[in-house]
Amino acid sequence: MNNLQQTTRVGLFFILGIALIWVTFQTLSGGKIFREKGYSLIAGFESLKELKKGDEVRMAGVVIGAVEETRLAGRRAEAVLRIHPEVQIKNDATATIVMAGLIGTNYIGIDLGTPGAPALRDGAEIRTKATPDLTAIMTQMGVLGKKLEGALGSISTAVTGDGKTPGLFQKLDKLVSDNGENVNATVANIRQVSDKLNKGEGTLGKLLNDPKLHDDLVATVNEIKGTAAEAKTFVANAQAIVDQVKAGKGTLGALVYDDTTGNDIKASVKNIRDISDKITRGEGTLGKLINDDSTLRDAQAIMKKADRALDGLDDTGPITAVGVVARGLF
Amino acid sequence: MKQITAILDGFGSTWLLLVRSLSYAGTLPRQYRRFFEQCYLIGYTTLPIVAILSFFIGSVLALQAGYSMQNFGTQQFIGSLVGLSMARELGPVMVAILLAGRVGSAITAELASMKVYQEIDALVTMNIPPARMLVLPRLAATLVMVPVLAIIADLVGWFGGAIVAKYTAMISIEPEAYFAVLRRYTHFKDVLNGLIKAELFGFVVVLVCCNIGLNTRGGPREIGASVTRAVVVSLILILVLDYFVTQVLMPLQ
Repeated sequence: MNNLQQTTRVGLFFILGIALIWVTFQTLSGGKIFREKGYSLIAGFESLKELKKGDEVRMAGVVIGAVEETRLAGRRAEAVLRIHPEVQIKNDATATIVMAGLIGTNYIGIDLGTPGAPALRDGAEIRTKATPDLTAIMTQMGVLGKKLEGALGSISTAVTGDGKTPGLFQKLDKLVSDNGENVNATVANIRQVSDKLNKGEGTLGKLLNDPKLHDDLVATVNEIKGTAAEAKTFVANAQAIVDQVKAGKGTLGALVYDDTTGNDIKASVKNIRDISDKITRGEGTLGKLINDDSTLRDAQAIMKKADRALDGLDDTGPITAVGVVARGLF
Repeated sequence: MKQITAILDGFGSTWLLLVRSLSYAGTLPRQYRRFFEQCYLIGYTTLPIVAILSFFIGSVLALQAGYSMQNFGTQQFIGSLVGLSMARELGPVMVAILLAGRVGSAITAELASMKVYQEIDALVTMNIPPARMLVLPRLAATLVMVPVLAIIADLVGWFGGAIVAKYTAMISIEPEAYFAVLRRYTHFKDVLNGLIKAELFGFVVVLVCCNIGLNTRGGPREIGASVTRAVVVSLILILVLDYFVTQVLMPLQ
């Protein structure tokens, strides 16, 4: 019995060990030793960089397989990718070697491709794109650094001078030392002006310091504002009138836009001209009146006669006048 | 000169013992009781100490790795370090050393006393070769049990590392992250590599211990001397073999 128990324990122990080995195997390798799942793709690169066997293949960040083999094929390096069977890779998808960390972990990233494109089959070659690796970036950085250094050096020469020609700072220094008095005087003047301003002297100073002046200014501005508003109304009215005129309404409108009126005016002006011509030539009554001296003389004679007659009326006195009026009445 | 002859004698007798006991391999089914008894002694009773020791080996590995890795800020890769070291090196070597200390010494002591008290001579007189009755079941039991011990050592060590990685302030890696890194960088071939090594070491330890026990000469005092020699030779062989086996297994990855 004891012996059997011992055997049982040993058996259990052994089975436990085998089970643990199996679990470890499944967890760590996903059962890859016995059968190769999925299909393989070939990705050709100029350089595989730090890619090695067993690195991940990811599509949009999801692990979809592993690098099965890396090899040289003629003038390029090839990586054989083992892809899970349920994952379809479009034939326009692009594979790149992506650096996951600075300490040399790489994976192959494959993009999704276009939705309608046909899927790649087993053994097909996937499109690839070279990405700059750290070394290339560092080399470029070095070149950039040299250029920067050159640029900074020339700036530095311009600023401090190179021994023969004076630099910017020397020039500035000379400028300041040569014109020191002028600058001082100017500064003193400016200071005087600002002092005066501060003390309220002068127009500007009063403006700055006198609240009344400020109020006045504000009032003036307000008035200007009011005037401007009125001007605005006036302009609006004028605009309305102009609009009416344009529409041909009212006298002015008719005058401006109605042809018949224009023609009438032309005719009138012509008539007036005819008349004035006739007058000038002395034709007609008015013309004679204006141009013929005899008429004037006749008129003067008549006026003289009338004068005399009036003088005679003065002598007869008021009775006559009353008689005249009475005769007129009856 | 005498010592060199002794060493060569040791090698030769060990090989002869191996060949002889393997020539009786067909008798193993008839000796299943002895086989199971040895399995019990070699595997089952050794399990607790293997578990405890590998737990602390994994822990201290994580601790030391965390201490040195914090200089580079690469603590998140502690899982891969503990995983690979336990699976490839420390698991198998630990199991082999424990086997030498706990099982090998017992085997040598038992066989040496049998030899000293002429029980072996009695067996030979009865035409029962000691290689068949005493050595073959032990070797077979070792072959069966050592991989089990080794895989348990690996797993317990990994868990020990995970616990230390979580609760040590300077590491502070969650078990999920620890095991994710471990799974990413530790492959089954690494574990298999370790299991092969453990198998080889265990086999050599038990064979050497059997041989030294059977070759004991003199009185009872020699029993102790044989046990000491057996353990020392086992340890030396484990570490020397470890280097060469690792070199051989490395290109097979």
